[in-house]
Amino acid sequence: MAKPRELRRRIKSVQSTRKITKTMELVATSKLKRAQDRVIAARPYAAALAEVMGDLYAPELGERFPLLRQPVGSSRRVALVVITANRGLCGAFNANLIREARRRIEQLEGEGAKVDLHLIGKKGITYFKFAKRPAASQRTDIGDKPRAEHAPEIVDPLMAQFASGALDAVEVVFAQFKSAVSTPPTTLRILPIAPPRAAEGGKGRQKVANYILKPSAEAILDQLLPLYVRNQVYRALVETAAAFLGAQRTAMKNATDNAGDIIELLQRTYNRARQAQITQELAEIVGGAEALKG
Amino acid sequence: MHVTVVSPEQAVFDGSADAVVAPAYDGQVGILPHHAPFLTLLGTGVLQVRQGSAASRFQVAGGFLQVVGDAVRIVAARVDAA
Repeated sequence: MAKPRELRRRIKSVQSTRKITKTMELVATSKLKRAQDRVIAARPYAAALAEVMGDLYAPELGERFPLLRQPVGSSRRVALVVITANRGLCGAFNANLIREARRRIEQLEGEGAKVDLHLIGKKGITYFKFAKRPAASQRTDIGDKPRAEHAPEIVDPLMAQFASGALDAVEVVFAQFKSAVSTPPTTLRILPIAPPRAAEGGKGRQKVANYILKPSAEAILDQLLPLYVRNQVYRALVETAAAFLGAQRTAMKNATDNAGDIIELLQRTYNRARQAQITQELAEIVGGAEALKG
Repeated sequence: MHVTVVSPEQAVFDGSADAVVAPAYDGQVGILPHHAPFLTLLGTGVLQVRQGSAASRFQVAGGFLQVVGDAVRIVAARVDAA
């Protein structure tokens, strides 16, 4: 059996670990609340864009806008934007995103496409450096609070390449924020833009055909399409940030619970060792006294 | 009429108003209640939402303005306090 002193040292060590994980859990919880609010606050804009695009879109317009052009045949060159977190201690969160990215890369390369990697977040960068796969671009300056301006910085160059025909598709790998505990890694194709469905407005909403349009449907769509693409990237960033904090909170909660279990176990072992020592000392004293009597 | 102003990050204004003056791509447009359905691109400038004698002002850039029914929706790519 381990020595009581050794056990006491280990209890201390696990206790301080628990203190740290508990604090991280609380910090992640409070940040998660704000990140979640940002996800929700971003919805009206996305909904408004989708609705108006649905109103204006007509299939025959598709030919005229480069961003709507569907590639003929299979894609030859695809840009994959992989969003991961800058930090760890969040369970399998980053690993899941990287696995999804690798799966998509293999699939695209299997179809004969060349894949340009655009990495956002330290964890993804570290992994692909380790895998010796060069990235077309990388950045780590987007933390827990992505701003709307980050999206155009990432996607505008890709949109230009797509419009010029250098790219056949642009996809984003990110963590969808369904809830704090459900954040499945997802691949979303943002270019070419999927033609908005006419039914997009929702139930009972009729397509308003008699808008006064200034300057014209085409000119408005021309402005709207890039906004829509940027917004999709912004939403991917915001959702991933929120999902990361959710994953971190869960991971830290588990760590705290596990530390509690270990402390309990160690404490019990310690008590037993201490009791055993006392019993043994008593037995020795009694034995000694008996011997003296004899 | 009901007016909402949204930026990519959040809804900035949501309430009723008597008049809206917005910087459209080719100059100011004023929207009063019961305007016909209308959709226009926004330029850069100051957006005013008037309610009685009070007015909320926002600096907006890009996006569009939409009037459907008696609701005005300003969807701007950038909104800053003016």
